[in-house]
Amino acid sequence: MIIKHPLLGPRDAAEFVYLGDANMIKRPEGFGENVEEAMYEHVYLRENPAGEHHELWYHEQGDRSWLVVTRNTLTHEISSVELARDVARRKGRSK
Amino acid sequence: MADIPLTAAPALGDVNLTFASCVLTERTDIALISVATPHAGYEALAAKIKDVWGLSMPGASASLNAGAMRAIPLAADQMMLAFTPDGGLSETSVQAELTDVAYTTMQTDAWAIIELSGAGATAALERICPLDLDPQTFPNGAAARTMMEHLGALIIRLEADRFLLMSARSSAQSFLHAVETSCRWTAP
Repeated sequence: MIIKHPLLGPRDAAEFVYLGDANMIKRPEGFGENVEEAMYEHVYLRENPAGEHHELWYHEQGDRSWLVVTRNTLTHEISSVELARDVARRKGRSK
Repeated sequence: MADIPLTAAPALGDVNLTFASCVLTERTDIALISVATPHAGYEALAAKIKDVWGLSMPGASASLNAGAMRAIPLAADQMMLAFTPDGGLSETSVQAELTDVAYTTMQTDAWAIIELSGAGATAALERICPLDLDPQTFPNGAAARTMMEHLGALIIRLEADRFLLMSARSSAQSFLHAVETSCRWTAP
């Protein structure tokens, strides 16, 4: 499988490490109402779609960047690859 | 106290192997300083290296050369400066220049550096390097961090048939074995 890195171009999947659901980025606030329930869902519950899936890949044997890869779990077709940094910023995270 | 003389030894013992269509040599003349860009400090660092060495910031996948100094991209906001120490140019002087604009680490002895050259160099690399080394996609000056035989490696194309391969000094012999074996198979 080839992953088209947004900065480096097409790279072999062997250079990457797979983490899982990209929702890991959206860690809930640690204080406030219903924190325990939200944290339980964040840590333990995952979607397992037969189809399009947003997932985190780490370019360990490359530039050490985290990527959000949108992959179809039925066909393995990759429809988009973005830097996780950009995705997090778009969701309102600073830095 | 006993007087024990210490002698610096190259990681691969100055290896120099000649095959039918390529030559594998250890480079022991290259000093390395890794440079991390501080948060929001890109402009200041770019101005500084331009001013001191006439060097521009390297792109994501291309190294840049200016005089004795080469900038090799490692990651977003990280690069390696490679140079041959000479006269006023040393690891200490380079780090001193960048004190206020970047975070630097001396890496000279952390890497083993192999130069692979000759008409058969690309063929030898094609067996172990997962990158597309076609001159269209990996032109002169191109640099990439990747892995070869499960070992993390940096590859830089100096010329059409001349490459620098860098890998961790701690596993340098395994890396040499991988490259050497590939050379033997493709250019016996």
